[in-house]
Amino acid sequence: MAGQSTLESWLTWAFSPSISAILVTLIISLLSPILIHFYLYRKAQSKELPSFLLLGPSGAGKTSLLTLFANGTSSKTHTSQTPSSALCALPSTIRSTSDRYRSENDTSSQPQFLLLDTPGHGKLRHHALASLTTSTALKGLIYVVDSAALSSSAGLTGAAEYLYDILLLLQKRHTGAKTSKDPQALPVMIAANKQDVFSSLPTQMVKTKLEEEIARVRATRSKGLMDSGVGMEDAGEEEREWLGEYGAEAFGFGQMEEHGVEVVVVGGSVRGEGGEKGDVEGWWGWVGENL
Amino acid sequence: MLDAFEILTTSGIVLWRKEYAPVSSNVINSLINDVFIEQRGQKSSDGGSNPAYRKDKYTLRWTSAKDVGLIFVVVYQSLLHLSWVDNLLRAVRALFTKQYATELKKPHLTNIDSKDFDPTFDALVRKLDTGSTRRPSEPDSDAGVIELTPPSSTVSAGEEGADEDDAPPPLPGAPQFKKPAIPQRQKQESAIVDDTTSADITPVPTPDASRPSTPAQAPSHLLTAKAGPGKASRRARKANTSAFATSAPASSGDERPSSRAKGGKASVKQKRRWDANGVATEGDDDAVLDYSAVTSDPADGEGELDVDDVKAEDMGSRTGKGQFVLKDLDDEVDAILASSKATSTTSTSQTPSDPSGLLNTATSKITGLFRNVVGGKTLSKADLQQPLAQMQSHLLEKNVAREAAERLTTSVETDLLHHKTASFTSIDKTIRESMAKALTRILTPTSSLDLLRNITSTIEGPTARPYVISIVGVNGVGKSTSLSKIAYFLLQNKFRVLVVAGDTFRSGAVEQLRVHVRNLSELSRRENVGTVELFEKGYGKDAATVARDAVTHATNAGKGEMLYDVVLIDTAGRRHNDTRLMSSLTKFGQLANPDKIFMVGEALVGTDSVAQARNFAKEFVDTKGQLRNHGVGMDGFIISKCDTVGDMVGTLVSMVHATGIPVVFLGVGQHYGDLRGLNVGWAVDKLMK
Ligand SMILES: Nc1nc2c(ncn2[C@@H]2O[C@H](COP(=O)(O)OP(=O)(O)OP(=O)(O)O)[C@@H](O)[C@H]2O)c(=O)[nH]1
Ligand SMILES: [Mg+2]
Repeated sequence: MAGQSTLESWLTWAFSPSISAILVTLIISLLSPILIHFYLYRKAQSKELPSFLLLGPSGAGKTSLLTLFANGTSSKTHTSQTPSSALCALPSTIRSTSDRYRSENDTSSQPQFLLLDTPGHGKLRHHALASLTTSTALKGLIYVVDSAALSSSAGLTGAAEYLYDILLLLQKRHTGAKTSKDPQALPVMIAANKQDVFSSLPTQMVKTKLEEEIARVRATRSKGLMDSGVGMEDAGEEEREWLGEYGAEAFGFGQMEEHGVEVVVVGGSVRGEGGEKGDVEGWWGWVGENL
Repeated sequence: MLDAFEILTTSGIVLWRKEYAPVSSNVINSLINDVFIEQRGQKSSDGGSNPAYRKDKYTLRWTSAKDVGLIFVVVYQSLLHLSWVDNLLRAVRALFTKQYATELKKPHLTNIDSKDFDPTFDALVRKLDTGSTRRPSEPDSDAGVIELTPPSSTVSAGEEGADEDDAPPPLPGAPQFKKPAIPQRQKQESAIVDDTTSADITPVPTPDASRPSTPAQAPSHLLTAKAGPGKASRRARKANTSAFATSAPASSGDERPSSRAKGGKASVKQKRRWDANGVATEGDDDAVLDYSAVTSDPADGEGELDVDDVKAEDMGSRTGKGQFVLKDLDDEVDAILASSKATSTTSTSQTPSDPSGLLNTATSKITGLFRNVVGGKTLSKADLQQPLAQMQSHLLEKNVAREAAERLTTSVETDLLHHKTASFTSIDKTIRESMAKALTRILTPTSSLDLLRNITSTIEGPTARPYVISIVGVNGVGKSTSLSKIAYFLLQNKFRVLVVAGDTFRSGAVEQLRVHVRNLSELSRRENVGTVELFEKGYGKDAATVARDAVTHATNAGKGEMLYDVVLIDTAGRRHNDTRLMSSLTKFGQLANPDKIFMVGEALVGTDSVAQARNFAKEFVDTKGQLRNHGVGMDGFIISKCDTVGDMVGTLVSMVHATGIPVVFLGVGQHYGDLRGLNVGWAVDKLMK
């Protein structure tokens, strides 16, 4: 009862033409949009940092690359169990595309971005897939491979299968997103790491080997068993499950372009020979282009 | 002694490390892979001491700080028995998380400037290292490091302060006025043994760093006439130093000299300090090993020269950081060890903020409720208990075996304890997410099985041979049916399949297979795919011999082309507790030497699938006594009758959990085509529903 009567008196006051009521109303109506603006603006800003996602099999050098990009030197690393992120700034020698017309000498603020690292262990790849689907402002994927490990068949298959899964996911996302507002084409850089190791395959070789192996993976996957998650009704949509150009015998990364995925292979190394700095210019360049 | 000590984040970045001898990074990587990711071999309860892991010639012990995502690993040779490394781990964990608390909280952590930690670590090792054989209280290991100095005596002692007593073996200096020191020392020793807090043990930073501080102590009771006037002043300075050092927990080697120099100038300050300390009785003296007054001299001189100008800011910043003093460090270590003894490990930094105490008041209860809904709550054991119990019974309802359900809830609990819930996330939701992750991790195989790829690469090339798969399991779980489904799948891929009737035991088994083969043959003729044939030797023969003959037959006995690409061997169903029949599996595995051994288990509720899986897996040892497939025994499970259990697919989890063997196929119906690969997301969804 008491509550109701107070409410009533408040209402009466609020609708009365008294100066104070008008003032309060004015203040509220003027302030609220400002407050809302600040609230939304800050929220938006904190989210908007462009990001790149590091993927690849375990031991490829993702975490090493992350520390190198973030700190300028690479830390010692071990197998990752959890994802992590780092704030990186483009080095002043690299220009991002949006920045191209800035004066050469204006090094005031190099654009910043977030680099997201994910574990490469087979059991922990759900982290990577989760970041792939949830990260907003994703600008590109960096798929790191160990160029030396690709000469063993197990290493090659492992790297190709994971890459196949990622590319297929991107392709499906592209086909599926046609109708919705943002098809968001994501470029992929395959970073052929560890070029400093003498047994490593050269960049061009990394590319062809991966393409050949993906063709093989694609062939057996298309013939393999359906998995338990697929309902009977989506069986037969073979075309959707086929990576790249449907029915093609050979696979080339070029086939991904019609699905909105641009793939480049860039060689480099996080570590250099004999403790000197590695060669990451090419990777920075790609990041700059896509920022 | 130790080979290496590393502090790394769960994301894989090494924040601090000390290597006494080169250790391949594979050693720690396999610890992470086997223990943290695969969660193998941790079945024994980790009561009290940290578990150990062996790799090559090394033993690794570790502990983790979950709230900040750090892992502390110590590596040493397995030949040594270092009982003290447990204490070291605990102490390092507490000190590191405290010293770098602010840095560790920052987002996007990729690097910590942790050079400062070196002296702290060395001091800890020195304090805690009791050797592998020596008694803990032996003078040269422990007592050497520790000394009590009555504050009052400090200054005067400082004047004459010569070399210390006998304690430090390296400096056989001139132990002249021992008397005062001795009783105290004894006191301390006993204190150490008890692990009580009172002892003033000052860990000595790296050897060089320790020197300067040493004198501080020495002055106190050890009076030696050696020192001339010049020396005396240095001593005084040193005394000072140690006082300052007290406020700088992690002063690095170069900072130290500067403070020393400062001390020299401001002798007044020094005194004040001591007084203050005096109140706390023995607290002030930094116990130190006086390695050598003599050796320190040159260093001293240098220090003064370089550092004079730097001191001022140095001082400021130190006091600013304050509090964390060498003496404190000592007390702290003791406190840490004591508390961890009492209640198995609570790091000191966490104790004060223990929410359970706070929650007693009504207001905080309300905020607790509020936070429960809104998020941002730091989870305590009490918060987790009830929802976890609920989660566990939920899993049990889904037919997850009790053992597996308990392990899962425990792993979720350790994952979430002292964890802060995200904003707008309730405890329940947090637990569900964590559980979904744990389930995903268990069910996802480390490397996926691409059967077709494997077969193709085996039957091609210069060393071509047929690919051999055998199917085992208890009676009536659907071995022959599952085998026929696999045969159908292979036929669709145009392989030539030989089905082997290895069940020479149960009457009717061969006939049953013959029917399947006839059907499959008819089907594949109609669809114009692969070919299939039955290989049988009737009843009563030894299954292992039949299997071997079948493989020989498939290779066409070595003359010319292989006749078949894949050999599928059915085996007799056997009770997993029938030892006689079970042990014949070992011979079977060795003679037929299949590329893959799959075990069929039922998804049905109430079957003791876990015991079955364990007993089968342990039979498959090779001739060297090693379990097949990297020590897990079999290559995969086929879970049959999944269509009959709806959401209650807990058997999958129980079997994988018990054995570490992945689920590769699911039987989902009565038709030959009703075989599926496992989609982990699908299974987790069903379990969490
Ligand atoms: N020689 C050489 N070694 C490298 C290079 N990059 C990384 N490594 C080494 O490769 C190993 C693995 O690197 P990580 O960065 O931990 O690998 P990762 O991709 O993060 O692996 P996961 O966390 O398991 O997924 C480390 O020991 C690195 O030192 C390189 O360019 N050259
Ligand atoms: Mg990593």
